[in-house]
Amino acid sequence: MKSKRCKVGSLLILSVCLIFLPGCWGKEEVEGLAPLIAIGCDLGQKPNTYTITGQYILPKKGATGAEVEDWTTSFEAPTLRKAYEMTNKIIDRVPFNGSTKVIVIGEDLAKAGFKDMLDFTQRFSEFRRSMYLVLAKGKAQSILEVKMRNGEIPGMFIKNNIETESNISTFPVVKLGHYLTVLGRKSTGPILPLVNIVKPGDSGIEYKAEGQDSELQIQGAGVFQGDRLVDLLTDEETKGYMWLEDSVKHRFIDTAGMGESKGSFSGHVLKSSTKYKVVENNGTVELKYQVKTTMSVEEVLGQDEQVSETEWASLMIEAEKSLAKAIEKECDLSIQKEKDLGLDFLGIGRHLEQKKPAYWKTIKDQWQQEIADFPVSIEVEVRVNHSGMSSNSPTTK
Amino acid sequence: MERISTHQFMTLGAAVLMGTTFLPIATIVTGVGGRDGWMSILPGFALGIPYGLMVLSLMEKYPRNNLLQISETLFGKWIGKIIGIIYLSIAGYFGGLLLAQIGDIYERTTMPLTPISVFYAGGILIVFYMISSGIEVFARFTEVIFPLILVALLLNIGLSIPRIEQGELLPILGEGIKPLFFGGIKVLPYAMEYILFIGGIISFLPTNKEDIEQLRTGVWRAVFLVGILNTMVTLIQLLVFGPVETNRLVYGFLALGNMVEISKTVAGVGSLFMGVWLGAGVIKISALFFMVIWGLETVFGFKGVKWNVMVCFVFLGIAFGFIRGHYLFMEISIMDDYVIFPFALTWIPTLWVVSRWKKGSAVQ
Repeated sequence: MKSKRCKVGSLLILSVCLIFLPGCWGKEEVEGLAPLIAIGCDLGQKPNTYTITGQYILPKKGATGAEVEDWTTSFEAPTLRKAYEMTNKIIDRVPFNGSTKVIVIGEDLAKAGFKDMLDFTQRFSEFRRSMYLVLAKGKAQSILEVKMRNGEIPGMFIKNNIETESNISTFPVVKLGHYLTVLGRKSTGPILPLVNIVKPGDSGIEYKAEGQDSELQIQGAGVFQGDRLVDLLTDEETKGYMWLEDSVKHRFIDTAGMGESKGSFSGHVLKSSTKYKVVENNGTVELKYQVKTTMSVEEVLGQDEQVSETEWASLMIEAEKSLAKAIEKECDLSIQKEKDLGLDFLGIGRHLEQKKPAYWKTIKDQWQQEIADFPVSIEVEVRVNHSGMSSNSPTTK
Repeated sequence: MERISTHQFMTLGAAVLMGTTFLPIATIVTGVGGRDGWMSILPGFALGIPYGLMVLSLMEKYPRNNLLQISETLFGKWIGKIIGIIYLSIAGYFGGLLLAQIGDIYERTTMPLTPISVFYAGGILIVFYMISSGIEVFARFTEVIFPLILVALLLNIGLSIPRIEQGELLPILGEGIKPLFFGGIKVLPYAMEYILFIGGIISFLPTNKEDIEQLRTGVWRAVFLVGILNTMVTLIQLLVFGPVETNRLVYGFLALGNMVEISKTVAGVGSLFMGVWLGAGVIKISALFFMVIWGLETVFGFKGVKWNVMVCFVFLGIAFGFIRGHYLFMEISIMDDYVIFPFALTWIPTLWVVSRWKKGSAVQ
């Protein structure tokens, strides 16, 4: 009897739970949400304020399927939460942060230091540490307000472009989590890829623009001391960084203009790996990079005559040497930049700490002064697997 | 009288030892041991083995008695009762704190708008059901849930491998072995919580010679299993976040779950695992609840549903007293380091030495 009463009681409690606990508090139907795609942060007009740009995607009115439109608005606010509140006041949906893919940091804010702008994004559980961080050339607001030629939403373009980066490996992919981890290393200067607006005629790109149409381009990078932008890396310096960081998956590289040989070669990196060694020579500690890469030659320029099989093999050896020189040049540019800036964005100090912790302890306090004179060498080995579908270029002779 | 098998003892022991330790452990050991903190976890847990063996040895001499009853026999009624009161107070207070932690975990990570009382009420309801069903059902529950916890942990660890940052683990022992010692000290209280639990459960264990051998094996198996798993949990966080971030994150393992992505289609699956982590929390709270009712029964002779309901209210009262997460963290840490650890560290060996000494005296 008692057991029966217990069972009935349990059943009643469960039924009540079923009625009153159907889901989470604050539950919103997906149709009622405004997914945030990108956040742009710039310095505000007034002191202690920021211009915070939120790029949301909303379903297109009257459209069927997955068609969406861009809802981008900027707010002058002292905090990101305040900007969120201001967004709420002018939108009939609930802004949802969990969908954020990209955080764009404006150049002026980056120079002033942007750590405060990241606090909310790393603290509030809706955000993910896998969001991409990029630096804007100019204002982040301008980047997110760009009217793109193909009608794409700038935030989505940046995300998609970053996710196909491994095809060309020309700029670093930095997620919020990675940036915070590097920040924790103290001796290493973080680095963020740079996003530019490209108008017809800029960067050797031409296209027929209608009205304000523009393109976005991710090229180069900004190097930081903690959260403050110190300088920008050129495209070549950034590519050098990519080799030294062992971040090259696939790359296109050419020897045009190097004057190494009569012709020039374009190589497609099929596989690459960079290792480093800390060696001691006559009491001097040195860091030695070893880049090993496998390529296919996909373009040979300046070949005037048909070559025999033996000459073809020699030509490929020449290509290997020239391409290795091209890689070495990019790496040298990057190392030189590090020495000029006195800022260890290559993480050489961290490599020393990993391989020779006792030595690192003796120099870590003066590391910034040591960078300029610290010996670094590079050894590049290129192996050309093949030269594509033909052994010779079409020649006129 | 209810009985649990040697296999159930191992699973239950491992589940109680594990509890929700995998959530704060990386933060704790990295905070004191830095990059090498992960190495201190297994040795820290391993101290549970000699303590566990001491408890089993006492059980062999005093079958069907829990450590509180054995204390009364060896130390006398009043000292035994004082120990009993300390034991049940620790279990009651700590159980309430862990109930509060369930609310904190959910509110902080996945459901910030849901009233925290819902998590407390939900948690205590399951715990109460478990207690009312008895130790056998509780053991069977852990036999079902613990493998799920293991699978969820391994999935989280495995799926986080693509997020590993290069070389975050190096240099190994860069600061010498001193940090390992401090890390180990921080892990020891977890082993002591487990020891206090098996100090109570021994009265439900089989006592023939063969079974005792298996129980001994069960102790070291549970300790190694949990020690290795927690080491892996800490290692993956160190590899992904680096030591500074691991120390800074409140529940780094949940942040890791949030970063899991499977071929760009499934993302942020961290919340899917929350149900399993709730199971882990419920097991630990239920274990502490059992400790309270064993204490009440041994010291005061109180038993029955009425007392169980009262303990539920005590747990809820303590949980409601620690809604503010930062105070909760501080209190759990104080309880672990300054109450549970010294109490178990001194009580069990003293009891064991006195039992040996008294045996020696009796022989003379």
